[in-house]
Amino acid sequence: MALRIVIDVLIGIGLVFALAGTKGIIKMPDTFCRMQASTCVNTMGVIGVALGALLYAIFIMGSVSAAIKIAVIALLIITVNPIGAHAIAKGAYRAGIRPDKPMETDDLGRDLGNE
Amino acid sequence: MQKTRFPAVLSTFVVCFAFWILLTWSFKVQELAAGAVVSLAAALFASRFFIQEKAFRLVHPRRFFSLLVYVFVFLGELLKANLDMARRCFGGCKDVNPGIVKVPVDLPDGYAEAMLANSITLTPGTITLDIAEEDGKDYYYIHWIDVAETDRVKAGEIIKGRMEKWIGRIWK
Repeated sequence: MALRIVIDVLIGIGLVFALAGTKGIIKMPDTFCRMQASTCVNTMGVIGVALGALLYAIFIMGSVSAAIKIAVIALLIITVNPIGAHAIAKGAYRAGIRPDKPMETDDLGRDLGNE
Repeated sequence: MQKTRFPAVLSTFVVCFAFWILLTWSFKVQELAAGAVVSLAAALFASRFFIQEKAFRLVHPRRFFSLLVYVFVFLGELLKANLDMARRCFGGCKDVNPGIVKVPVDLPDGYAEAMLANSITLTPGTITLDIAEEDGKDYYYIHWIDVAETDRVKAGEIIKGRMEKWIGRIWK
């Protein structure tokens, strides 16, 4: 019983962070800030839900192979995701997307202008 | 493009075969043999793209210990940044002050720099846009959602925190 509560709390934590990230994706003012909010979903959201699912697979389903697959999925999401985020953000910047409000500092734009 | 070397093939084969066992999780002789053949083929073709230097340089107790500590350091930073980001998102998304800062980085080689760049991107609130070399030093361009400091070195200390020190110990 206590184990079920721990599992539910972990999955709940993951869902709260996923909700925060989703709200950020919709409401943030510009492209780069929206990307920043999206990283919330696939770090703490994935870690929370995967930990809960891992405990469920080990102790309630009693299935080692399901547990290993869950761990592999979480590990792959966490290692592969930043590469995609970096590529999308860099591509957006190179394609000329800029926020409406001027940024606080823009070192990359200044250095690209000098080239 | 470099030549295929035996240590590189062996290390790639070990990783591929371990991954095969994790995915199938059955220990019949037929399945293990099929996995060994496929892993060997993949290792022969792909090892020269993956392994550029000494293949087993990470197999060392001190490095494993540093990696283990780094996982917890990173999880701590991740939790802190996530709470901050969730607060911003639930607070109406008006509390942002975005900008791109250029941050110096001091790490021994390319693997370590890639690892730190990915760690920074994975932390909510900072995305690494580009790496550039200038006068023999490497710099990250980092998009930061709340620019608290425009001075490069101080901004770097805030963004990188303790992660850079531990990554340096892993790859030293």
